[in-house]
Amino acid sequence: MNFRTFILGLAASFGLPWLCLIVIPTVKYGQLTPVAYDKDRDGVEGIYPPAPVNAQGQLVYIREGCNQCHTQMIRPVQLGLDGWYKGWGQDQEAKPSVAVRPTELRDYLSEKYALLGVQRVGPDLANYGWRAPDAGTLHAHLYSPLSVRDWSTMPAYKHLYKLQKIQGPASERALKLPKKFAPPAGYEVVPTPEADRLVEYLSSLKRDYVIPGQASAVAAAPAASDKK
Amino acid sequence: MQPTLSNTEADTAADNLRRAAIDKSVKGPVLFLFTNGAFWLMLSTILGVLAAIKLVKPGFLGDCEFLAYGRLQPAHINTLVYGWGVQAALGVMLWLMARRSGQELKHGKSLLLIAGIFWNITITFGILAILGGKSTSIEWLEMPKFVWPVLLTCFLCYAWPIARMFGRAFRPEGFMVSTWYILGACFWFPWIFITANVALHCLPGLGALGAGIDAWYIHTFILLFFVPVGVGAAYYFIPKITGQPIASAQLASAGFWTLAILGGWTGMQKYMGGPLPAWMTSVGAATGVLLLIPVGLVGLNHHLTTLGKHSAVASSPTLRFIFFGALFYPVSGGILALNSAFWSGSALQFTQSWYAFQMVSVYGFFSMCAFGAIYYIVPRLSGCEWLSVRLIRNHFWFSVYGIGAIVVMSLVGGWQLGADLNNPEHWDQSFMNHVVNSRPYVVARAVAWALISFSNLMFLLHLLLMVVGLGRRSNAPTLLHREHDEHALPAHA
Repeated sequence: MNFRTFILGLAASFGLPWLCLIVIPTVKYGQLTPVAYDKDRDGVEGIYPPAPVNAQGQLVYIREGCNQCHTQMIRPVQLGLDGWYKGWGQDQEAKPSVAVRPTELRDYLSEKYALLGVQRVGPDLANYGWRAPDAGTLHAHLYSPLSVRDWSTMPAYKHLYKLQKIQGPASERALKLPKKFAPPAGYEVVPTPEADRLVEYLSSLKRDYVIPGQASAVAAAPAASDKK
Repeated sequence: MQPTLSNTEADTAADNLRRAAIDKSVKGPVLFLFTNGAFWLMLSTILGVLAAIKLVKPGFLGDCEFLAYGRLQPAHINTLVYGWGVQAALGVMLWLMARRSGQELKHGKSLLLIAGIFWNITITFGILAILGGKSTSIEWLEMPKFVWPVLLTCFLCYAWPIARMFGRAFRPEGFMVSTWYILGACFWFPWIFITANVALHCLPGLGALGAGIDAWYIHTFILLFFVPVGVGAAYYFIPKITGQPIASAQLASAGFWTLAILGGWTGMQKYMGGPLPAWMTSVGAATGVLLLIPVGLVGLNHHLTTLGKHSAVASSPTLRFIFFGALFYPVSGGILALNSAFWSGSALQFTQSWYAFQMVSVYGFFSMCAFGAIYYIVPRLSGCEWLSVRLIRNHFWFSVYGIGAIVVMSLVGGWQLGADLNNPEHWDQSFMNHVVNSRPYVVARAVAWALISFSNLMFLLHLLLMVVGLGRRSNAPTLLHREHDEHALPAHA
């Protein structure tokens, strides 16, 4: 074996997986486009996937590294119980009648980089929008997770909130916190625009829309689709 | 292992002179890389302790935004990989290639130093950016976009002279498995690094495919950069210190080429069951298991080479580190296979066991081999011997126990979490059980990182003393004598 064949061997052995796993899928991904629903077939109108994610809020999610602990990916039932977890899809019942469908490539079409997640230290957020509480409660959760769940190990994102002196009437945006976590008397905590964007982003996470041409799962479970 | 035609004293003396000249030619850049790498390693282990504590007690040190887990953990990994890992690897690669190919580093020494300085400055900015809230949240590529072209250029400044040395000394009939691995690492790293960065930072957006490419990047980075450097060093030092030739050339060659062929396919199984096309994750999972072949071949070969010379493990610091590093190679392969295989992977997905794989390959395997190499290389460059047996021994034992604990705890903790997540009884439960159940494992991880941190403090101090020339003035190397060491492996010979 001479030097050239050695280098060629290295190039060929790595080039093949590189071509198959990276280059060709990347080129093909560029051709992936949203699909229109067929009203007769799917029972809904519009485009799938419906709306782009809130990119501004996603930037906060990215910069804080939320994906270190939260995944955004529902696995099929043969691999995990994700689909049956309470509140992990549109059906918020404790025992959903159908499993939430696994996430698909097109569900992340509008995202520059899909934050599928590193570890699942906290619950999955792929369809968090369905179970998200009202903005005030979510803000309180982000400001002080322990005020909502006393066992939580989520960091408190206090820097996304402003502690300010109450001047005149209290702000209607001020967080309602339990006494233990409340600011000192005369002060209030209000969300910054960044916190608002983050909450909008989290509340918009809904990825279990019907896939065009795959409406059978919904038809088989009318109970699930009736509860809106 | 230089071929000598006759064993006359004149030849030996000439040989020694030649070796000394080679050592002298690479001294500056290699010592620079090792010292800076050791500083980053120290920082990384401290960040590892902090990150683990923050995972259990997020309010530790206050709710400071710079120290939240989501920023601390990437900083911990990035300092370990780019600050320590790549720098230590480059140092070992440069020295080993120069020695093995019998070439002095003739030109561009100052260019290498400048590249090294730029590497460190860039990483510093990158880590500060992560902590300051500029993270990209792309695993192992969290540092901002501007970092990668600089890192790539600096790496190529080193890769080029290494490849040149290889080219000049290449003989078709000669079999030089350690330099094959080193050259492979020089060749694969830029390719992988450019691919991942262009795809994730320059292309308009790849959605879920981007996540797959990132998982591929992490695994090829480990398997085609850290693994080759570690295995290359082991193939060089084990025969050198035991005084026995590599047991089987065929095994060595097969181990190399199976790694080269399989290494590029794996990684995407991290998102099995996810949005990626199923064939991509399946191919990754299959190769993740098949990689047990090169792991087994190399392990067998190292075992056969060391056979009958295990007593040297007790006395030589270099061999002891390399021997245990080489032992961690099969362990890392086993964990990768567990993470990849369908029946165990579904339970281990998204748990700490993926962290276990990263740590056992980067610290347990690669870094232990790099420590071994450093204990051999530095005395030859600085002209003095390691000061203290005790420091070396502490470094070794705290590192071994620390990384062993991290791997076991992360694996068991991962299995527990995965099994809980897939336990039907948890369908309508909150995450409280998972959070409470994984707590002890994370606490153990913090303790283990603290042990490793302690061991690396000793390593760093010891290395600094050597670099400034305060080592022992002696002709005899510092050996870990067996009468002082009850924990040494039993000698088979």
